[in-house]
Amino acid sequence: MRSIDIHAHLTPQCFIRAMREGREWHGVKPGEMGIGPRNSWTPEQRIDDMNSLGVDVHVVSTFSFYYYYDRDPGVILPMHRECNDEVHQMTVDYPDRFKGMAIIPMQDVKLAIEELDRCVNGMGFVGAMIDDHVNGKTYDDPEFLPLWKAAEEMGAVMLVHQQGGQTLVRDRNPNYHLHNTIGNLVDRAVTFASFVFGGVMDACPDLRVCLCHGGGYTCFGAGRMDRGWQVRPEARVNISQPPSSYLNKFYYDCLTHSEPALRMLIDTVGIDKVIFGTDWPADMAIDWPVSWILGLESLTMEEKEAILYKNLENLLGI
Amino acid sequence: MRSIDIHAHSTPQCFQRAVLAGNEWHGMTAADGELFNPRNAWTPDQRIADMNSIGIDIQVVSTNAGFYQYDRDVAVTTAIARDCNDEIHQMTMDYPDRLAGLANIPMQDASAAVAELDRAVHQLGFKGAMIGDQVNGKTFDEPEFLPVWQAAEQMGAVIFIHQGGGTIGTKRQPRYHVRNTIGNLADRAVTFAAFTFGGVMDKCPDLKVLLAHGGGYACFGIGRMDRGWQVRSEARVNIDQPPSNYLDKFYYDCLTHSEPALRMLIDSVGIDRVVLGTDWPADMKIDWPVSWVMGLKSLTQDEKEAILWKNLEKMLGL
Repeated sequence: MRSIDIHAHLTPQCFIRAMREGREWHGVKPGEMGIGPRNSWTPEQRIDDMNSLGVDVHVVSTFSFYYYYDRDPGVILPMHRECNDEVHQMTVDYPDRFKGMAIIPMQDVKLAIEELDRCVNGMGFVGAMIDDHVNGKTYDDPEFLPLWKAAEEMGAVMLVHQQGGQTLVRDRNPNYHLHNTIGNLVDRAVTFASFVFGGVMDACPDLRVCLCHGGGYTCFGAGRMDRGWQVRPEARVNISQPPSSYLNKFYYDCLTHSEPALRMLIDTVGIDKVIFGTDWPADMAIDWPVSWILGLESLTMEEKEAILYKNLENLLGI
Repeated sequence: MRSIDIHAHSTPQCFQRAVLAGNEWHGMTAADGELFNPRNAWTPDQRIADMNSIGIDIQVVSTNAGFYQYDRDVAVTTAIARDCNDEIHQMTMDYPDRLAGLANIPMQDASAAVAELDRAVHQLGFKGAMIGDQVNGKTFDEPEFLPVWQAAEQMGAVIFIHQGGGTIGTKRQPRYHVRNTIGNLADRAVTFAAFTFGGVMDKCPDLKVLLAHGGGYACFGIGRMDRGWQVRSEARVNIDQPPSNYLDKFYYDCLTHSEPALRMLIDSVGIDRVVLGTDWPADMKIDWPVSWVMGLKSLTQDEKEAILWKNLEKMLGL
């Protein structure tokens, strides 16, 4: 049995080297961003940890702290290229253990498409990880449509993942880690809604969007979205089917930290849409992810295998 | 069998008389009253006729959230609240077997809020108060609100939580009614967290907090809140038990617009904590609430009776 993790992050070694040498790195000054102990591990240390956890493949994404959508794309594109080149080298050095997920400068859609194309068609990446919004713009904004069209054409996965700490909950209550424990899940539901109510999933029926953290509150809250669609004309401007009929157009990782929530996700979106994602190496990760999945009493063996590797084998062709 | 609805609103007739005659009412205008919904104009007699048609025996009536007016001068808000409460009191005098009251209280000033809650509960026979998820940006873990919780606990008053003004979804996505269909549920989860992580439920163990809209995403998202509590010291500053231990300290209405979501709510918080709440007469209400509950295949008859009336009979002494 294999296991393929779609939600595994990287703090680039090129960044760590610059910080340790006291050098500015694409506008990031030494000390501006902290580096946790697990985040500085080399690819070899990462593989040791994967071995201990029983994870065969990491689809490696550069951490969301490096999105920097609010900075000059002329500065950030080279940063993202350097990150992506490092991930590419990891996949070349360990082709059986690593696949690449790009980081792209979403503040400039044209550059984002070019970098996605370079990564997917030039370096064998499976897609790109993006935030839930770009400087406040959600993905129903028409300016992003060329990117969705390009990703659809390339067969690239769009992995949606908030920028750490910057969710909708922060402004309401900045305490108790709620910006993460509630905020990530709120942001993901709003992103589902933006893609769906905005008509993107109709405009791009083959677009592969994967929502991290189990899609957040999406599956649980679909009933109220449907009611809104039924009673409010502004919810129907772009779609002629209820939002719940789009649940099975998305992919979702299994990072729910709750067996009943994962069970509801599977029952709502279909077992073929739920994939393995752990948030390695964050403190909010699933600690022993393969063990956790295998131990869930409410899942069948077939469901466990679908989540751990079969769905991602199909989705990514690996 | 009876049915008691804890989530039923009123747009005060005194407000409507004034604004429809072209006058202001405590500085409020017709635009503040959701008068586009003709059901908001119904008289108490018309309300009773509609309750008869949908099989509701008792409504616990709360003034619409548009009348919170927490951002106004406290003297003005108090005058608004008193007018609202006096009108609902008259309704409960005219129909003592059919209508009970929840107060509107000026939450921007805790001592004024306690005074009006005291008047409403002890002089007017109200069951408690309906309040927002936040007061001018402050959440209910703020120490300034503690006197309200202690007074409510001492009075045995229900604190019914219902959003007012913009939800946290509004800022990110103002379209498609998402501010309501996702925002209400996100706001409620943050309020659950503010009460819980803020230590309010430990300080006031007998406080009756009732979360509208099924408590929003609180029950579904509890696993991630637990994980945050486990790994982050800032989540443990006030509580030494995981947040999931507090789920059964709250009450929740059944307004989920989803049978699987209601089933998960019951399984997470316990059947003795789930009560009938319909959001009458809003467009986002349950259309035929008694019929809906009675028709749910995944609930036992005992569970249906607990939701429809037994839990509220006991909680409110009705």
